[in-house]
Amino acid sequence: MQALYEERRRRIEKTIALEPVDRVPAAFMGMAFAPRYMGMSIADFCAVPENRTEVTLAAMDKLGADVWDGINKLPCGKIVPQLTAAWLSHIATPGKELPADSLWQVQETEVMKPEDYDVILDKGWPAFLEGYYPRVIDVDELADMKAWVRDNIAHVVQRCRDHAYVPIAYGGTATPFEYLCGGRSMGRFFIDLYRDKDRVRAVMDHMLPYMIREGIQAAELSGIPAIWVGGWRSASSLLSPQIWDEFVFPYFLELVNALADKGIVSVLHLDQDWTRDLERFKELPAKMCLLNTDGMTDLRKAKEILGDHMAIMGDVPAALLYAGTPDDIFKYVHDLIRDVGPSGLILCAGCDAPINARPENMEAMAAATREYGQVMAGP
Amino acid sequence: MLEQLVKALAELEEDRVLEIVRQELDCGTEPLSILQACQRGMTEVGSRFESNEYFVSDLMMSGEIFKQVGVLLEEGLKSASQVSSGTVVIGTVAGDIHDIGKDIVVNMLKSANLDVTDLGVDVPPARFVTALQETNASVLGMSGLLTLAFDSMKETVVAIEEAGLRGRVHIMIGGGPVNGDVCEVVGADSWGADAQAAVRLAKTWLDVGAQT
Ligand code: B12
Repeated sequence: MQALYEERRRRIEKTIALEPVDRVPAAFMGMAFAPRYMGMSIADFCAVPENRTEVTLAAMDKLGADVWDGINKLPCGKIVPQLTAAWLSHIATPGKELPADSLWQVQETEVMKPEDYDVILDKGWPAFLEGYYPRVIDVDELADMKAWVRDNIAHVVQRCRDHAYVPIAYGGTATPFEYLCGGRSMGRFFIDLYRDKDRVRAVMDHMLPYMIREGIQAAELSGIPAIWVGGWRSASSLLSPQIWDEFVFPYFLELVNALADKGIVSVLHLDQDWTRDLERFKELPAKMCLLNTDGMTDLRKAKEILGDHMAIMGDVPAALLYAGTPDDIFKYVHDLIRDVGPSGLILCAGCDAPINARPENMEAMAAATREYGQVMAGP
Repeated sequence: MLEQLVKALAELEEDRVLEIVRQELDCGTEPLSILQACQRGMTEVGSRFESNEYFVSDLMMSGEIFKQVGVLLEEGLKSASQVSSGTVVIGTVAGDIHDIGKDIVVNMLKSANLDVTDLGVDVPPARFVTALQETNASVLGMSGLLTLAFDSMKETVVAIEEAGLRGRVHIMIGGGPVNGDVCEVVGADSWGADAQAAVRLAKTWLDVGAQT
């Protein structure tokens, strides 16, 4: 197992470094798919942190233990408080506020008020957060999650090793944009970007050092030299170029540079379509990022523009995993490896395989990667 | 002055738009003419979006401005209601609460002079059926961004069939991941990638001209 783990780790490392590989590495990502596939209720998945780790590993084994080199994100700790901390919204929990087998649900409303911008500037981000969390979560639950992770993360990393799956990243951070957008709600925040520009910019400038610290701490805690840098709602397709250039990219640049200075790779977890601005990503440090997209960004363009700059992780779309047939999946994976691989590509579901992905499609994704990843990269 | 209103809205100049609307009302301009100017402004926003000059945030801002104009004009419009070109029932389907895209579609349909019955989010199939019966609408729009939403869309189509309405209702779907395959699985008549597509489909089905 140890040798296999090392082999896979090197394969992923080489991919990030854009070196040739013997086969295209595959990473699993299907947070809610895993329990559904293994017959575990989502409530149990959320309630017991060990369940999250074990059911994810079991789902990967069942789909094909010989396929997966890694897992996009270390399955460590309770998911609901983690998502709350990332999105600053209340998240309804299955088994508590929702039926036991439904998906957890972000309840995005305007929890953070316009006045809160001033509070952040007055009191500072950490003090603001302390006052803010009780609006969206039971703070004990958040503290328990953090304590559990601190005490158990080494064990979870070891469990992945036992299965010879390499955790590609643990934990994450994001640009100030993402936190504010979550707290304010996308509907309100996007309007703030027109009406209240200067105040928003001042708040973001104040916040950025804390986002950097958050990322460095996550990497120190896990010992995994890569973290997620989220781009959930700041896609090029969502924002005018003026806004993107002013409120999104400069913060990405500073954040990713600061992480790279510490030797930390940024897994740029980008939802929606970022194609318009791919050129700008050349400014990010070379071979220190993984472009992790969800099926909407044009990866052929990304390869063309960034092929010698950063590796790509993606991007079998959620809709295809649900509505497509195994044949569709085979074709998608084949074409992706042909056009975007074989080096500099980690094959993965776009964003996150959905809870209702058809199992035969997930199995097809695994089988197709096994087949084409090897053949095309050649010995 | 109304030309400037069209332009100010197209440029998303919120303060300027509201200022002109107030001035026009003060001068006694027909609220209906003011509304029509704003609708033209919104149409311009839509075409800039289609030509990749504007993006989602711009659509949201235009919707925000349009809504405020609506409030200013509400009183005056009550008496002189414009004859609408048809009714569209729309909602985000059961299990899904994403409504940013749906709201943009609603705004664009309204600014294209259609009556819109917006059922909100997480709408169960039975509510769609009731609304179609009550409004007698012949166009239904369903929005959904989750793959889970596709199941709900399918169920809604079945419910509409069972209620015997399928023959008179054109169904369009949309939202992030929706595409032709999804449309087929769901059993809708067509799908649209953006709000302009929704307007085009609705207008074609309602048989109204391209311009209001
Ligand atoms: C904002 C957002 C949220 C907000 C929603 C706020 C709100 N009031 O809508 C919040 C935080 C609440 C949220 C919650 C969740 N979200 Co969400 N969300 C997003 C996000 C970031 C943007 C969506 C958006 O607004 N896009 C902008 C609008 C304008 O685009 P649009 O909706 O596609 O609309 C356009 C067109 O599609 C079209 N259109 C829309 N409707 C219609 C209808 C018709 C008839 C026609 C013709 C056209 C049309 O016109 C619009 C304008 O051009 C996306 C990721 C992304 N970046 O896309 C994820 C995303 C959609 N969310 C996702 C998920 C998983 C969730 C959650 C399940 C997460 C969770 N576990 O809690 C919950 C769902 C809760 C629920 N039951 O619905 C996934 C969906 C994956 C999947 N395939 O299932 C996405 C894709 C993110 C991801 N990659 O994981 N989300």
